[in-house]
Amino acid sequence: MKPADESRPPFLGSWRNVYALVLLMLALDIALLYAFTRRFQ
Amino acid sequence: MRPLDWVTLVLTLAGLVLYGLYRSRGAKSVNDFFLAGRTMPWYAMGLSIMATQASAITFISTTGQAYVDGMRFVQFYFGLPIAMVIISATAVPIFARAKVYTAYEYLEQRFDAKTRALASIIFLIQRGLGVGVAIAAPSIVLSLIFGWDDRVTTLVIGIVIILYTTFGGILAITWTDVLQMSIIFCSLILALLMVVSMLPPEISFGSAVRLAGAAGRLNAIDLNFDWNNRYNLWSGLIGGTFLALSYFGTDQSQVQRYLTGKSITQSKLSLLFNALAKVPLQCFILFVGAMVFVFYLFNAPPPLFQKPSLLKAQTSAAWPGTEARYRQAFAARREAALAVAKSDTAIPQFRAAQKQFESVRADAVKLAEQAQGGAKYNDTNYVFLSFVTRYLPAGVVGLIIAIIFAAAMSASSGEINSLATVSVIDIYKRHVRPVASDAHYLGVSRAATAFWGIYAMFFAQYGKNLGSLVEVVNLVGSLFYGSLLGVFALAFFTKRVTGTAAFAGMIAGEAAIFAAFSFTGISFLWYNVIGSVVVVLVALLFPRPTLPAPAVV
Repeated sequence: MKPADESRPPFLGSWRNVYALVLLMLALDIALLYAFTRRFQ
Repeated sequence: MRPLDWVTLVLTLAGLVLYGLYRSRGAKSVNDFFLAGRTMPWYAMGLSIMATQASAITFISTTGQAYVDGMRFVQFYFGLPIAMVIISATAVPIFARAKVYTAYEYLEQRFDAKTRALASIIFLIQRGLGVGVAIAAPSIVLSLIFGWDDRVTTLVIGIVIILYTTFGGILAITWTDVLQMSIIFCSLILALLMVVSMLPPEISFGSAVRLAGAAGRLNAIDLNFDWNNRYNLWSGLIGGTFLALSYFGTDQSQVQRYLTGKSITQSKLSLLFNALAKVPLQCFILFVGAMVFVFYLFNAPPPLFQKPSLLKAQTSAAWPGTEARYRQAFAARREAALAVAKSDTAIPQFRAAQKQFESVRADAVKLAEQAQGGAKYNDTNYVFLSFVTRYLPAGVVGLIIAIIFAAAMSASSGEINSLATVSVIDIYKRHVRPVASDAHYLGVSRAATAFWGIYAMFFAQYGKNLGSLVEVVNLVGSLFYGSLLGVFALAFFTKRVTGTAAFAGMIAGEAAIFAAFSFTGISFLWYNVIGSVVVVLVALLFPRPTLPAPAVV
């Protein structure tokens, strides 16, 4: 592995933003599944 | 299995092995054999991580679980994205800078040789126990469904794995995993389309979803906190995060996947790809199981999905009466389900009919348990395969059986390769023969791979007698992961903790986990939390060595 290319992800500018996107998607998954559960309970 | 199914099965398996061997040509060093020369792109690593984690039993059992218990199992995976973010930000760059072959090699750089040795041995014990079960589980299910001898299925899976892992190393494993996961995705989509298309004409997709929901099969989120309940939002987020941190951050079978990356960026992307894809994928698999449940509202399911137990139960004097009540309960539930398709006002009647149906089935289960001498009966793992073999057309059955073999192979091959890596790098090279040529170590690596493959086949024969196989795998992992997670947390986030303190912490962590296992009813998901916290606390409180006082002149 080459540590040199660690600095920037290929999108969103920084790894912090990429991590935030992943956690946001998790929150969205949970919210949608909760709505799904409530809707069809 | 019809001739077309056999052709599909053989062609798919042969294609997978040949593809893996073709992609691995040119593996001529230990670096190639264990780390693919650190050349892998993110998508190959990402799919390989997913394939190694998803054993055959995952696909068989998860669909069955949705049929029996609904979709709440998805909460088990909520901690995974959080863990992936933490590992991407910490472990990936640390391991990359350390230029290690194994995660445990890093522990010697940070602490000392004994901490590395203890972590390696813990890994070899727990993964060594798990690898046999990973092969045994699908072998047993396939043997019971088709009447094949489970030693034959174990032998077929084992020999195929040994062939491509011994010759091709991690390159063969990774590229085979990529193809396997692609086939698995396509087959699952095909299975969903087939099950929905086989519903009665008056049942639309919307009605099918409403029926699954009315029967409690779409209960994805449970907000109630309960220490003893495995699947709720909180155990998923907290316990699941610790479990995923342990698995992806400290288990060599996973760490080795992202050590093969051609850059840190590629390794991080492979983990984050899993973070984004895992929850929707598990949701999809569970949804397929929920739709199989709806299918069986209109097509009579067998009272018991496991044939040998059904045959035993049928010898009971009470069976004819139970079977007659079962048929009546099915007919009443079918009528109620058709009424729900027309109007939601029929939902209470449908729920009552479902409850009655479950009650009669529970009576059938009791008869099966009595007939088999009181042994617990559970047919969750047989629901999906029973549906596949009974209702899907020729060719598709062969393809689904092929993906079960493929999933068994991808999970086991990754584990065998990682066991060989730790045996060679952390034990043989470190303690037995520190200086030798690369060709020598490559030969030993191939021999170690073949050894672990043969061991897995033999252990599968023992593992099949251990009871519920999924529980065995989960339990064995949880008994050891907590202490590994704790020691890596110390390595990554503390500077003053010594090797001896970390070693003592690991011993204390293991003791705490075994105490929780032996004397409490706490769910296994929490063992990782308990073990890692004890390791960190004991190591931090461990007395530091006192430096000799400077000589007074």
